[in-house]
Amino acid sequence: MKKQMIIAGLKARPVRSIVTIMAVSLEVILILVIIGLTNGITKETARRTEGVGAEIMVQPSGASAIIALAENSMPLAIGDKIKELAGVKAVAPVMIKLNIEGGIENIFGIDSHFTEVTGGFQWHDGNLFKSPDEIVVDDLWAASKPAKVGDTVELLNHKLKVVGIVEHGQGARIFMSMDEMSNLTGQMARAGTFFVKVNDPAQTKVVKAEIEQLLPGYTLRDVKDLETLLTSSNIPGLGIFINAVVSVALIIGVLVIFLSMYTTITERTREIGILRALGASKGFIVGLIFLETTAVCILGVIFGTGASFLIQRVLQAEFPTMMIEITRDWMLWAAIFAIISGIIGSFYPSIKAASQDPVEALAYE
Amino acid sequence: MKTLLETIDLRKTYQVGKINVEALRGVSLKVREGELTAIMGPSGCGKSSLMHILGAMTKPSAGKVLIEGKDIARMNDAELTGIRRDRIGFVFQKFNLLPTLTARANIEVARHIHGLTNGHDSHLAEVLQLLMIEDKMGRRPSELSGGEQQRVAIARALASKPAILLADEPTGSLDSRNSEIVLNMFRELNRRFRQTIILVTHNPELVTYTDRLIEMRDGVVVSDNDPWDVDSELAQPARSV
Repeated sequence: MKKQMIIAGLKARPVRSIVTIMAVSLEVILILVIIGLTNGITKETARRTEGVGAEIMVQPSGASAIIALAENSMPLAIGDKIKELAGVKAVAPVMIKLNIEGGIENIFGIDSHFTEVTGGFQWHDGNLFKSPDEIVVDDLWAASKPAKVGDTVELLNHKLKVVGIVEHGQGARIFMSMDEMSNLTGQMARAGTFFVKVNDPAQTKVVKAEIEQLLPGYTLRDVKDLETLLTSSNIPGLGIFINAVVSVALIIGVLVIFLSMYTTITERTREIGILRALGASKGFIVGLIFLETTAVCILGVIFGTGASFLIQRVLQAEFPTMMIEITRDWMLWAAIFAIISGIIGSFYPSIKAASQDPVEALAYE
Repeated sequence: MKTLLETIDLRKTYQVGKINVEALRGVSLKVREGELTAIMGPSGCGKSSLMHILGAMTKPSAGKVLIEGKDIARMNDAELTGIRRDRIGFVFQKFNLLPTLTARANIEVARHIHGLTNGHDSHLAEVLQLLMIEDKMGRRPSELSGGEQQRVAIARALASKPAILLADEPTGSLDSRNSEIVLNMFRELNRRFRQTIILVTHNPELVTYTDRLIEMRDGVVVSDNDPWDVDSELAQPARSV
């Protein structure tokens, strides 16, 4: 019976019901898309770094797990020392530059050792740069511009020619020679990260310990741990950002539900009076309003989740390098936050409705 | 006959600004099981206040209201709600049906609140037949005439088999033809089911359908032809139709 009353109530005020459902959807979209974007970028960066094929990363002292933030301060000769260690198969120094023109991307300045670690690129088109002013890009970057082999693009305030397009997932989206990066940036050719490939992945810890002995004070990371490291609790400010997004979403939800349910119970004062006159208890009225709110929230969660996946598809079609990762965990959290905002938002209106004097409520015009 | 409802020196005072307005000034009366009683009086005589107190919707300022021997004047909100749910049926002047629900759903709401499950109820089926609204159950209030809406409201009030049916100006929003139909149905319900009914009205024509007339003025009962009270001045049934 309550179900019938709730459906009838929602259908009787379609515009208000739709607007409220949309507002809850917005709350869910805000959480799923923004958090999905944050998670997508960090996880995709971690996976791409893992895709280089190395087991160990050597970074300057105190460097962040976000390799783009690492300072290119390590002499290339360090790579030769690491290579001399027994368990090491290959070492690739990488000079890293963060490009913020037309999006935020890492550019890897690489040399011939990079291929030794990765095992080589998977080519879609073209080939490796042979002369200065040439770059290789991954397929997603090429699709997002769009750019093809032979096109000239502007990067780091210089016009550079795309000579090759490779499969994405091997560290960066843009590659150039380390010497060229050094020229363009005016920095000495030094490494921000050394990617170390070991002979036997089972011996990674042993090799890591040897490198630690060789290079005390440097930051060493297991590449396979990178995905775990690049989380909100490990990236400074990310946790605060996520909390801020969730809080804003929650506040939007609470305010909209409050306003909606407050208007509803004012509009339905007489109906509430009728129910009270028929013997409905205060708990019945509170329960009815909570159930109606929950129904609105559930519909909002369904539409919001669907819309988030739609936004994810549209954004990824439009901007292929933009990764949005909508996880089951966050879908569940978004639903919980939406229901919580519904409960908080409808708390006062439901108490107000239940406390109405039946005689006064029946006299309400 | 068994006394179903009794008021003893019932008083109700409202505070309007700094002024105390006495709506009821010591009303004492008894209503017995199966009676069809009319409470009549001009506007402002206190009959609606009396109705709200008898219906457990508001508390008196002083005095007692005994429903089946229990003083509801001392009850808290939850207990009063229970009395409204289990012992009282209400019919209002403006019908007060839930506009978004069908006639059937309006009746089911009352049954649901009462704790009855959906399903066949022979008593309700008989009531619907008597009220001649069986074929109107799928319609919303806006799709029903005033008379039909009031008959649905009566069915809703009777859905939980209340001990007392209270009707506040039940024909106040109806034309004469529909008023006559509704009043005849009240009388039929009273006769067939021995339903105790109290009608509040200022319409003198209505009293011709009832067993007993209680007249009120300025918050007190000025006359009562209680057929069971040997001291009553007008101890004759008012019914003449």
